[in-house]
Amino acid sequence: MHISEGVLSGPVLATGAVIALAGTYIGLKKIDYDHIVHVAILASAFFVASLIHVNIGPASVHLILNGIVGLLLGFAAIPAILTALLLQAVFFQYGGLTTLGVNVVVMAVPAVLAHYLFLPLLGKSSTLTFTAGFLAGLFSILFSSILLGLALWFTNQNFFETSLVIITAYIPVMIIEGIVTGFCVAFLLKVYPEIIPVKKK
Amino acid sequence: MKIEKILFICLVLVLIPLNIAFAHRVIIFAWVEDGMIYSESSFGSKRKAKDCTIMVENEKGFIIHKGQTDPEGNHSFKIPKNIDSDLILTLVAGTGHQAQWKISIDELVAKPSDKDIPTIMGKKENLEKSPSILKILTGIAIIFILAMAAKFLKRKKS
Repeated sequence: MHISEGVLSGPVLATGAVIALAGTYIGLKKIDYDHIVHVAILASAFFVASLIHVNIGPASVHLILNGIVGLLLGFAAIPAILTALLLQAVFFQYGGLTTLGVNVVVMAVPAVLAHYLFLPLLGKSSTLTFTAGFLAGLFSILFSSILLGLALWFTNQNFFETSLVIITAYIPVMIIEGIVTGFCVAFLLKVYPEIIPVKKK
Repeated sequence: MKIEKILFICLVLVLIPLNIAFAHRVIIFAWVEDGMIYSESSFGSKRKAKDCTIMVENEKGFIIHKGQTDPEGNHSFKIPKNIDSDLILTLVAGTGHQAQWKISIDELVAKPSDKDIPTIMGKKENLEKSPSILKILTGIAIIFILAMAAKFLKRKKS
């Protein structure tokens, strides 16, 4: 899902950087002292997830995990994802430094939205908890792929076909990510409910 | 705090074997030689990205070439005529994988010397390197150092 360097236009890169900076500022303000370790654990999981590819048939799949990061952290997901993406760019040349802002927006904005859309459903029943997790995972990838397509489209309207092909290619990942997020959330709610913000209320 | 330690240990234990077995990324690498554009696509150095779509666009976003990679992940085509801008090659490798490679107009019009090819291949080998376990652990350590620094600053503030 990382956009490489040299593809996007200057205004798109600048807009991405500004939104990412503003989001990071809000996210840092919203992190509460007791949850800093949770942020670090989820940032680490996000950092590692993209590096682990599993071969399924002729394809190679990796998780992104922005859904669960957003669902559990809310706005704090933005600095968590920024840190993970920055380290991926520096250590493994995933994406790049100039595209960091856009990549943060592409992956973190859907994550934050997933928090506000699906968190209220958690904890009501085990089926609803799994469904909320599934939808958070699926929605995050769907919206991220649309944002990725939009970043290309804003760079040049003629990138429309490429954008559509990319969004279509993400459909299997949406389903896999949804299932993984659903199981993770259901498991965490059982063994460590304190990590789910809704349980604190 | 106990569960956080358990989660962290689980994360490390999961990543060690999986990293050795599977860690890699989708790569497209392209170069110009004898009036042709050659590309190689792979998931790391061992697994070739076969039967994947390659779309070639100019800077205005017009698709000037579209093709499929062969079983070896290779795809080559003649440099299209009347090229006046850089070219962007997008590899769509299915299941959420995409990668780009940009070929500058200078590279398209210049004749590569014999010295250029080893340089290009060196770049390619560098790209294909799998993430090392040391780098992954360093990344996780940095995240936790930053978290501890944030904890320290927040405590100081309050």
